[in-house]
Amino acid sequence: MMPTSSRRRSLALLVLALHACHAHAADPEVPMFSFSGFGTLGVVHSSEDQADFTGTQSKPDGAGFSRSWHPGVDSLIAGQVSANPTPRLSAILQVISEQNYDGSYRPHVEWANVIYKVTPDITVRVGRMVLPSLMLTETRKVGYANPWVRPPVEVYSLVPLSSFDGADATFYIPAGTASHRLQATVGRTDSLYPGDGGGSTKSKARGNVTLIDAFELGFFSARVNVGRARITIDALNPLFDAFRQFGPEGEAIASKYTIDDTLVTFAGVGATYDPGKWFVTGEWSRLNSANRFLGGKSGWYLSGGYRIGNFTPFATYARTTANNLSDPGLPLEGLPPEIAGAAAGLNAALNATLAGRIAQDTASVGVRWDFRRNMALKLQFDRTSIASGSTGLVSNIQPGYRLGGKIDLFSASLDFVF
Amino acid sequence: MRGAGLMRRSHFMHRLGSAIAALALCLCGSASAEVVAVVSAKAPLAPLSRNQVVDIFLGKASRYPDGTLAVPIDLAEGSTARDEFYSHLAGKSPAQVTAHWSRMIFTGRGQPPREVATGAELKRRLAATPGAIGYLDRSELDATVQVVAMRELPLGAK
Repeated sequence: MMPTSSRRRSLALLVLALHACHAHAADPEVPMFSFSGFGTLGVVHSSEDQADFTGTQSKPDGAGFSRSWHPGVDSLIAGQVSANPTPRLSAILQVISEQNYDGSYRPHVEWANVIYKVTPDITVRVGRMVLPSLMLTETRKVGYANPWVRPPVEVYSLVPLSSFDGADATFYIPAGTASHRLQATVGRTDSLYPGDGGGSTKSKARGNVTLIDAFELGFFSARVNVGRARITIDALNPLFDAFRQFGPEGEAIASKYTIDDTLVTFAGVGATYDPGKWFVTGEWSRLNSANRFLGGKSGWYLSGGYRIGNFTPFATYARTTANNLSDPGLPLEGLPPEIAGAAAGLNAALNATLAGRIAQDTASVGVRWDFRRNMALKLQFDRTSIASGSTGLVSNIQPGYRLGGKIDLFSASLDFVF
Repeated sequence: MRGAGLMRRSHFMHRLGSAIAALALCLCGSASAEVVAVVSAKAPLAPLSRNQVVDIFLGKASRYPDGTLAVPIDLAEGSTARDEFYSHLAGKSPAQVTAHWSRMIFTGRGQPPREVATGAELKRRLAATPGAIGYLDRSELDATVQVVAMRELPLGAK
């Protein structure tokens, strides 16, 4: 969800663009307006009942502890209006209803931008877009577009940014029978995530810059990207504020881990070979920061599938790792017993947070069945092994949860486009 | 642009190109080679590589190699010629073509080609629309259209 002001700005841009077109004669080959949409009806079951699998950090509850079978992990519905007033100018407005950070299904604006073709090969967009930080981020919610129930969480939860408000430019460069698409984006993001006790925490990204080169040659495509952003995340501030009460030593610990306008850089490569009958695809991405709690994470996956008529069985292996972190915390010597107890508690909370950094791998098998036009049914089984001492990619962790365990997930989804 | 030189070649050359393409299609001999890419008989024509034709129909390229605007026209969803065209040229089933367009539409990158219901209507559109390109079953070819010579260019060819 975005603050109202930026949503207004996006809508204002769109309205402006729609106005601008009235004067022009429309191209008879392209309809002035087109409406389309996509959706997923999904359900997920987890073998772990002491924590939730939510798929993304932005959902408050999921399969496992909250519900044995949860429909809110993958289910969503989206509608889009595209306007094509002139061959050069177009605009899109896409609204999605899905489980929000507060558990509601209130629709939000995912895309709202104006697209201008400077030349047939140079495109500029302004407004709200999805940050193309990974190979599939722009279409990760369009279940029909992907072979699996969802892109592997080991990679797709690394950069938990969705829409951003800003601008980008794309250069299409033919190179023989191949082509490059160079893209540069700049912008900013405000996101809300579920907080303790039903509240919310905010994350801000400023100065997002992403550079991408997407290469295509026949059935082969590859993509390289680098990016940076300055991130602010409030979630852990209460812990760090408590540390600050312990004088300079506490202050030092707080400033080491506080995520406040902290520079993060990310890089990734991905490639797909899809001659039609079968496909292989894989991706690797890494996040770095001087703030060791925020950076030092990477993930990759490799997936393949084989198409037999309308059935596409697939298998995926995905893995994410993070630098091991622990901190001696506040020195306890010389503190009065009561205060020493509080300090030890804070040290334990800090180390639990640091240890909570994710390291896990998942082996998946599944099948996509294109049983009728514009609809696909998918079944997927995931076995996740969590590294010892790590919580894994779960939330709503209960006292009975064991670190470093194994979780089996079963997902079924019906994806459609219209 | 790489294709500009090709465009200036003589009329004879692209007639020859068409003939070679037709011959190649015959030699392939498979049933799926019955659908061919076509443009208006009056259109200037350069041979295109298979990738270039596919890129135009999948909305990845908006122009011909010589820089003129390309206007792809599809036959109706579910028609045999359409399914053959995409499976033979792009290696994509109808569901894969839909998946491709869902990636394009929902990121604002484009809209699928306009559709026409029949080969006859396609031929009328080709004649009326500059830059238009379509595909037809060989049995529907006539003097109003010419077959696009399709060739695989070696990597980096000029």
